[in-house]
Amino acid sequence: MTMATNRPDNATHPPHTDQTPSTPTTDGSTATNRSTPASITNANARGNKTIMNSNTSAASPARDSTAAESSSDAKPDEVLLTVENLRTVFDTDDGTVHAVDGVDFTVQRGETVCIVGESGSGKTVTSESITQLFKSPPGSIADGSVVFDGIDLASRTEDELTDIRGARISHIFQNPQGALNPVYTVGWQLVEAIQLHRNVDDDAAREDAINLLNRVGIPEASSRLDDYPHELSGGMKQRVMIAMALACQPDLLIADEPTTALDVTIQAQILKLLRELQADSGMSIVFITHDLGVVAEIADRVVVMYAGKVMERGSVYDVFESPSHPYTKALLECLPGHGSLGGIPGSLPDPTAPPTGCRFADRCPYAVAECTVGEQPVFESVGREVQNEGIEHEVSCIHYRSTDDPSVLDQLGSDRSSTPQERPSGQTGGSRDSDTDRDGDGDGDGDGDRGVTRE
Amino acid sequence: MAVDNEPRETFEDVDWDDIDETTRAFSRKTIVTIGAYMLFAVGLLYDYVLKPPRADTIEPLGISLQALDWLYILTLLTILVGVVVPLYENGRMTRYYWQQFRKNRAAVASLIYLGVIFLIGSIGPRFLEQPTVDPSNAYQPPVFTSAPNWLPVECAGEVAGGSCHGTWAHPFGTTHEGKDILVSVIYGMEVSMQVGLIAALITITIAAIVGVSAAYFGGWIDAALMRYVDIQITFPTFFLYLMIVYLYGGSLFSMIVIFGLLGWGGIARIVRSEALQRREEEYVLAAKNAGASGYWTMRRHLLPNVSNSVITAVTLLIPSLILFEASLAFLGLGDPTVPSWGEVIASGRSDLPNAWWVSTIPGIFLFFTILAFNFVGDALRDALDPRADGGDK
Amino acid sequence: MGMEMEMEMGIGVSPVSDQPAAARTEAPLLSVRNLTKHYPITTGLRSKEVGRVRAVDGIDFDVYPGETVGIVGESGCGKSTAASSLIRLEEPTEGTVRFDGEDITQYDQAELKAFRRRVQMIFQDPESSFDPRMSIGEAIAEPLAVQGLSDASRRREIVADLLERVGLAAGDADRYPHELSGGQKQRVGLARALSMNPDMIIADEPVSALDVSIQSEILALMTDLQETFGLSILLISHNLAVIRQICDRVAVMYLGEIVELGTASEVFTNPQHPYTRALLASIPTADPTDRGMGIELTGDVPSPSNPPTGCRFHTRCPELIQPENYEFEQSTWRRVMDLRQKLDQGTVDVDAIREGVVTERESDETPDDVSATETKARLRDEFAIPQSLDDSRAESVLDAALDELVSGNPAAARERLATEFATPCESQSPTLEDTTAGQTASCLRLENELPPTELEQTVRSD
Repeated sequence: MTMATNRPDNATHPPHTDQTPSTPTTDGSTATNRSTPASITNANARGNKTIMNSNTSAASPARDSTAAESSSDAKPDEVLLTVENLRTVFDTDDGTVHAVDGVDFTVQRGETVCIVGESGSGKTVTSESITQLFKSPPGSIADGSVVFDGIDLASRTEDELTDIRGARISHIFQNPQGALNPVYTVGWQLVEAIQLHRNVDDDAAREDAINLLNRVGIPEASSRLDDYPHELSGGMKQRVMIAMALACQPDLLIADEPTTALDVTIQAQILKLLRELQADSGMSIVFITHDLGVVAEIADRVVVMYAGKVMERGSVYDVFESPSHPYTKALLECLPGHGSLGGIPGSLPDPTAPPTGCRFADRCPYAVAECTVGEQPVFESVGREVQNEGIEHEVSCIHYRSTDDPSVLDQLGSDRSSTPQERPSGQTGGSRDSDTDRDGDGDGDGDGDRGVTRE
Repeated sequence: MAVDNEPRETFEDVDWDDIDETTRAFSRKTIVTIGAYMLFAVGLLYDYVLKPPRADTIEPLGISLQALDWLYILTLLTILVGVVVPLYENGRMTRYYWQQFRKNRAAVASLIYLGVIFLIGSIGPRFLEQPTVDPSNAYQPPVFTSAPNWLPVECAGEVAGGSCHGTWAHPFGTTHEGKDILVSVIYGMEVSMQVGLIAALITITIAAIVGVSAAYFGGWIDAALMRYVDIQITFPTFFLYLMIVYLYGGSLFSMIVIFGLLGWGGIARIVRSEALQRREEEYVLAAKNAGASGYWTMRRHLLPNVSNSVITAVTLLIPSLILFEASLAFLGLGDPTVPSWGEVIASGRSDLPNAWWVSTIPGIFLFFTILAFNFVGDALRDALDPRADGGDK
Repeated sequence: MGMEMEMEMGIGVSPVSDQPAAARTEAPLLSVRNLTKHYPITTGLRSKEVGRVRAVDGIDFDVYPGETVGIVGESGCGKSTAASSLIRLEEPTEGTVRFDGEDITQYDQAELKAFRRRVQMIFQDPESSFDPRMSIGEAIAEPLAVQGLSDASRRREIVADLLERVGLAAGDADRYPHELSGGQKQRVGLARALSMNPDMIIADEPVSALDVSIQSEILALMTDLQETFGLSILLISHNLAVIRQICDRVAVMYLGEIVELGTASEVFTNPQHPYTRALLASIPTADPTDRGMGIELTGDVPSPSNPPTGCRFHTRCPELIQPENYEFEQSTWRRVMDLRQKLDQGTVDVDAIREGVVTERESDETPDDVSATETKARLRDEFAIPQSLDDSRAESVLDAALDELVSGNPAAARERLATEFATPCESQSPTLEDTTAGQTASCLRLENELPPTELEQTVRSD
């Protein structure tokens, strides 16, 4: 097996020398400056595109798309959704699966929050927990609160949630094929979605349906209304799904890997569409994905999840500019063109019996003995100065405690390829690197293979 | 599995030219299987061609095998080869199935019940005489119960307070002809198992072959087979059986064969539609990419993967066949030589006010047998789906 | 076209400079010429053919020993069909496929079965590429058993070895597909393909169903195995980022044809075909400051049953050649062409446009009250055409055509636009030709030596 041999420069971040915010950088691709303390405001990270708007310390999520202006007047400071200490468990034959194990994040109005992580990280369950879409039983929210616009959703009854789903919080899913009913026309389903939450007559609903299809960029909307789902391409189906989700002008759109099943060209179209729709309506988006490339395209705020826990969270600029948690770094290296091939050695911990200490310690090349004891480390602030758009950049890693020097991660990183890491827990890692053990059966052969070394 | 320090064969070591030249040897399993069927064929040949007519099949033991018995042996052999042996070979999968199956308590109880019925039904008739008519022994009540003393001709148990009490001599009592109901019920078990298993096996075999071939080959083969199924489904099987009853008299053998040979149309359709979906799966393409023949693909991939729907269909089919046989026997259209549950139920229908046990006891067995098949079928269907992950998220 | 290609790409002729010299001097392992796969569309009882889906329409390429060649394109471009018909999982309609010098399209069943050992395939969907009722040990051993290795204990040894080589444990042989994760299944897929000790592996979207981190793992494993066993790999993907990671050469397919073919470095650093440029631009970058930029391809791939005339990409091409005598901004020209195409398809519904105006105004007017000027303005809005074109002559043509359209004479509008705003892209078919950059590409812009448009700016400006 090969391991990362060379990390390209843009991942190792040479310390950035000072640069005044008013100097527009010339090339966006090299503007991935590691935010060494004090010397920079983060404005230059996106300086080349926005011609240096001077209000970097203001909270408006200024972006280079047209979304910037219109979403900023949607009361950007107002928190729409607060998830606190959310724990969702599933009772299975093999024990209780702690799918989401103490997750906190907030979503402001007009903002896009990306929850990113591998399969099995609990990102989908987190999104489903907001409106309790998961099947219950076996799933249930064990602890925590989900406050949406002042309403605590975690304690609502199923009936009350039904009123909120679709009307105020809409979902779109990965597979548009499965989410559309093949025996009804697109128009019928759209009209149904509209009439489910609004008391309008058929003609008005149909008119709304046409407008919705127009809004999501479906050409010849009026004739498409009478098509059946199978007559549409994958990208068109996803657009229809988005139209249905928008039918009741939701405050929050939860998009669970909406582009994963699509071609990259269509993915680009859908992402652009979502940005435009958000700019028009000022809705918030919670976007679930495993692809950091997509995150960079659409997010304002990023929540990196691993094994049911949040590893790192912050504004998209901070997270990409100075990825801090070793897991975030590893995920970034997996992106094509970053680092080299090889993935993240090891596999997810057993969700029925999560390990003590940091969940990622087992696979972490920077882990020390301390990482495997106690609870998941508390969040430490990364940037010690101004945060982008007032969003805290926090990381759950002991190397970032004020008494520790996070630069150890950079040093270790440079020779990470040459020396196999000592495993702090004393277990020896096999040469086998299996990925997520999704069945979670945790049977005998699932325990010995969480090796971090590769020969 | 090879021990690690031994150099083991790798895929690079395989000399394909060598393998191409050697003619393919049969595996031991294949030889044993073929041997078993050969033995069966020899026995059949001996019984019908070589041995003197009207003689017993195995003279010294006084065993005489009829057509129905041969068919039953063939069925049991096929169940052994096609179900029991594969389950034993894939121990891990079997354990997994069993774990899933075990979750359904009612199904486990049903399976045990059916096993007991099968065993008693298979062994009992070998040792018990067929129930005989004995008017002096009529209307004996079952043990622990009693009947008015005037009812039995001669009460076999003690008479107390004007009531005749049942005895262990006839635990389930006797009919108006004095036939022992326990013995009748035990014979009925064999009949029910024969009807259910033989007819179901004939049905499944034909339906699976027809359905899978139609789906795999498609084109005119598909069209021809399915049009034949359309015609067969409209054929009035029941009237054909009635005709045979009037011409040759009722016979269990002809009933089973007629319903087996003409009742597979619906299941073949189900199998075909299921196999059509499976044919599009990538593993079928992967097999083709490995050079697999059509037979291989159908045998190794399509058949096992349509088994779910086949099992569903069969679990509905077996109880309905048993019930159908009972109904025919009840109407007097069954085989007069074999005591089936339906026949016993029918014989007691006029005695219900006084001798309730005559109809009720075989009725209870019939009821529970059918219920048990349904429970087992339900649980099997759930357990056999390897995609269901046992409530895992 | 096939012959022409043979001359260009055959042995000895080496137009491509940075291909390793060793690869060029030896004969190609796989040589595909004019590979065509058409699916007839039939109707009625007698299966009368009424049309053809041209899934693959005459493609030529070579794969040299030890080389990784990528085929990239959107869904529906025929790349998967190309893969399955070149190894006769589906019978190709036309063309020759020479493998190690022999034309496999002429093989009989026995020869084909022996050939299967030499080329193996990995499938896209880890869920459906394994029989749920077979343990993964059986699945890996299946090719061995099919090819006649009847000794079960030998098969078991080989399977144990293979599992360890792909990074799983020998004991996993008894597990069932549903017990494995997607990445693990793809490893098993590799093991199954390797079991035949093939010379070449065709991987059809091997990682597109996987997480990004797992993708990277599987691609690393593939390159590892390739080095160890000297495999050739044909990698099929819609994602250029994946292709870029491991391929030596790349063929870009669009609607059944190869539009660009060259070494990975040539294609990625200096793409010559507008489609390649658009594909490259659609890869999301891990840089939040660089989002939503570049070229966006509108719409979906047209139906291969009725491919566009001329250059097949002209219906979506952002760099469509402009008509003579008129000056357009490139993006505006694209939109005017969109309008033209919609008119040709007869799908511009003027009544719906009027209705739209009325709905927006929320007045009591009927659609008939909407003036022609308003309708025309709305039409331009629908197609994102500016209310007035920079070129006054072009403006007058467009205005006249819109007048005709609004007054209920779409045929005249169509006619006018077709004659005035004609582009060579809709009438002439480009051929794959050498470019100055090294690779071959088929674009009229290159044939006519027109420079690539400054598209990034023009698209960004809107």
